[in-house]
Amino acid sequence: MSPPSRLRIVGGTVHDPANGVDGEVRDVCIEDGRIVAQVPPGSPALDARGMVVMPGGVDIHSHVASSACNHARRLLPEEHAARPMAAPRLEPGQEPGRSGTGGTLPSTFTTGYRYAGLGYTTVFDAAVAPIQARHTHAEFDDTPIVDGGFFVLLGNDEFLLRQVETGERARARDYAAWMIGATGGYAIKLVNPGGVQAWKSGQRNITQIDQPLGSTRITPRAILETLTDAANDLGLPHPVHIHCNNLGVPGNAVTTLDTMGALAGRRAHFTHLQFHCYGMGKERGTGWSSEARQVMDLVNANPLLSVDVGQVMFGPATTLSADGPVEYLLHASSGRKWVNVDVELETGCGVVPYRYEERASISALQWAMGLELFLLAADPWRVVLSTDHPNGGSFESYPALIRLLMDRSVRDAQLKRVNPRLLAGSALADGLSREYTLNEIAIITRAGPARLLGLRHKGHLGIGADADLTIYSRDRDLARMFSTPRFVIKGGVVVVEEGQLRRAPAGRRLRLRPGHDSAVIRELRRHFESYGTIAFDNFPVRGLRDAPLELG
Amino acid sequence: MDASSHGGSSQPIQVPHVPCLGCGCACDDIVLTVREGRITAAEHACPLGVAWFGDGSVPGAVRVDGREASLTEALDAAAALLDGARGRVLVFLGGDLTCGAQGAALALADRLRAATDGLVSDAAAEGFLAGQRRGRATATLGEIRNRADLVVFWGVDPELRYPRYRSRYATTPSGLHLRRGERNRVVVSVSVGADVGPPDTDLRLELAPEQEVAALAELRARLLGRSLGAAAGLPAGLADLAEQLVKAKYVAIVHDGEPGAERRSPERAEGLVALAQALNGPTRAALSTLRGGGNRSGAEATITWQTGFPFAVDFSRGAPRYRPDRRAAELLAGGALSAALVAGSPASVPVALHRELGQVAVVAVGPKASEAPFTTRVAIDTGVAGIHEAGLGYRMDEVPLPLQAVLPGPRAARDTLQQLGDRLARPLVEAGR
Repeated sequence: MSPPSRLRIVGGTVHDPANGVDGEVRDVCIEDGRIVAQVPPGSPALDARGMVVMPGGVDIHSHVASSACNHARRLLPEEHAARPMAAPRLEPGQEPGRSGTGGTLPSTFTTGYRYAGLGYTTVFDAAVAPIQARHTHAEFDDTPIVDGGFFVLLGNDEFLLRQVETGERARARDYAAWMIGATGGYAIKLVNPGGVQAWKSGQRNITQIDQPLGSTRITPRAILETLTDAANDLGLPHPVHIHCNNLGVPGNAVTTLDTMGALAGRRAHFTHLQFHCYGMGKERGTGWSSEARQVMDLVNANPLLSVDVGQVMFGPATTLSADGPVEYLLHASSGRKWVNVDVELETGCGVVPYRYEERASISALQWAMGLELFLLAADPWRVVLSTDHPNGGSFESYPALIRLLMDRSVRDAQLKRVNPRLLAGSALADGLSREYTLNEIAIITRAGPARLLGLRHKGHLGIGADADLTIYSRDRDLARMFSTPRFVIKGGVVVVEEGQLRRAPAGRRLRLRPGHDSAVIRELRRHFESYGTIAFDNFPVRGLRDAPLELG
Repeated sequence: MDASSHGGSSQPIQVPHVPCLGCGCACDDIVLTVREGRITAAEHACPLGVAWFGDGSVPGAVRVDGREASLTEALDAAAALLDGARGRVLVFLGGDLTCGAQGAALALADRLRAATDGLVSDAAAEGFLAGQRRGRATATLGEIRNRADLVVFWGVDPELRYPRYRSRYATTPSGLHLRRGERNRVVVSVSVGADVGPPDTDLRLELAPEQEVAALAELRARLLGRSLGAAAGLPAGLADLAEQLVKAKYVAIVHDGEPGAERRSPERAEGLVALAQALNGPTRAALSTLRGGGNRSGAEATITWQTGFPFAVDFSRGAPRYRPDRRAAELLAGGALSAALVAGSPASVPVALHRELGQVAVVAVGPKASEAPFTTRVAIDTGVAGIHEAGLGYRMDEVPLPLQAVLPGPRAARDTLQQLGDRLARPLVEAGR
């Protein structure tokens, strides 16, 4: 059976916050993969009466398709051995389903099936080294159903740093534009700007935004300003996506507030904010505390800033980052196994497996701080749900996170179980009564991230939007409701039917090719020929199936 | 992917930036001269590369039981044979396939509930297992080129099997942080028995094979300001080396991931991983593992993203299982298999497997399949990845490269494997357990 090109979804309760629809019973019509106003009478219908209809989920920050993911997969045979995943029984007439393995870093096919199985239809990998972009495209080719894109790691790369040092802002902008186009990427990602270069150069790390890189005049501030302006000047649909300096260290809230201050008046996205809001401990000797309120106050007051939370969920995780120095510290302090890969001329990569425990005081603090950020956020359109998969926990824990946000009693019960040592004075412990509504959940998982990514056809159900939808059966157990959608529709194809994965079409690649002054290419060629190990002409990724999206 | 092949023009055509899969260096500065459909020169290529490219001619035969056959006939015969052996099949990933073709072979393995193996030598397997116990500290080759001021060749002289490693990546070229190339680097040669290091180095050490693991442990102890004491018989130069290691800004330890002349203890791989990791306390360091060609690193990357494991994946239970303890040799010798699909170049299959492969029904799909050094029931010749087929290939450090189709060739391996997959019977119960 070929999927119907037309479909009427009848009588569902629709949450489409981008179009101001908050729980109205109405039909949604689909034709040729898009939302339309009407389909002819007699078109196939899907009975959604009594069910909740939302746009498909959009993950703004995840690690699903990168060489770092593959380093981590290779490191974790024990996880995969514990989670064999048989191939799904798909409808006949398509490529047969593929088996795989689960865990915090599932195999690619399993990743696609599981994301779609949760009602997510668009996923961005948040950290791809330019030289590894081909690898990411190859992994996405084997990650079915979801539309995928990625952010290009800049800010520790030699060429960019040289432009920063010499104040060549226009050239830096042209370079960033070329890089996004050449790699098939979507946005600019900064990870510990300058700090990864410091790690590779023997300086170990950079912890403050005005601390220079070695004996140069390059500072995180200068890198941040250069790339933030580049993204905004280029009119990229998503602004710079910033992983601040000094991740995961007590007292780092100062660095985060400084970074936000440095970029005041500019559009910027701060990622996995939970990992960047630590104080030094309100009581002597504790060494750690939550500064979530101070940081969120600043975000609330600055409408140009957006964030995703990077919630910690108790259980297994894998920390995986271009932030090499942080992963080294985690390895050195935990004694766990550790991968470090220094990536030529560009960035770093580190992997350390981890586990967040209720009884561990720092895990409990991190868990509470993520929730504080969600619950103190004044504008859900600028605060996105993420676990920084798999760093704070797997994307498969999103339903449990949604339940924590929607149900105070669940939250309070868990709060009673966790180690309270570092929670004195935290906003959560003091009692945050807010409960997210279904509409707010639709914002922080779909409408908001789509808007922040500038994806005009995603995250909403207006006419012309991509027909990516999730239909849930109501359930008092909210985690069950969100973990087992009744139907998921991707590009008009019903992929999950009555809770079963039945179809697995290929997803599309979301990428851009911003324009730039071609003079930069001459400089780049010289740089590659002097220091690179692959030919400049072999660097750009060619032959991608999907055309770049239009800018502007 | 992006290149179009250069056909039968009588004027010589130069094709620049061609990656070479002759070894894992995957040098991509090769300039091929093509004339009348043949490669007549491979500029910049080392002897291994020249041999790997050859003149680019490959057979295009299709054989069933030794007789010429049509492609349809051969695919039908192969599908029937493999279907009949479902659950008792080996899928072997040989050399010279693009990652796309490797992925297509793995899709077949998944459907056939096959065991898989490939060009992962026992030495390389020990490296994977050590890395899975401890992790690893490594770098892409350009980082070594641009930063490493101390390069230690541990039991290997790259000259023979990785001829351009030193000139492109390790010691000769100048780097961004080492402006004067060789003059800014200290190069150390550690010979382990018959696995000798390069002759032309600043410091030389010689170890007996049985001293190797102890020497690695002693170096690690010295980083912590200790000594194992039991360093009985270890060369005095080891203390010098330990000092050099800590003094350097960025250390590259280069070792051979492929089998050497000496039999190696499994603890050797772990010792190397641990030393490189430990050096990242006092300074920075990376372990560079030399690997062979034919896009074997691509096969390892592909099987890892598709299954979660880097080699020795068994699909017999309907989902990937990791069986590094039960490789092709054991499976074939134990009589557990009745058929094998060799995807890729049969000439790359280790000699030790040839006799056992002769005991099962073999389908070979790959370059020069019709000239396999073992008996095949079905043989379908394809082009060579990076000569006749474009796609994705990996350098030894897992940096991906675009392979080009330089010449027109026989049918593409990826398409052929997909066509074979289309002919397999659909299993009645796909979900298994």
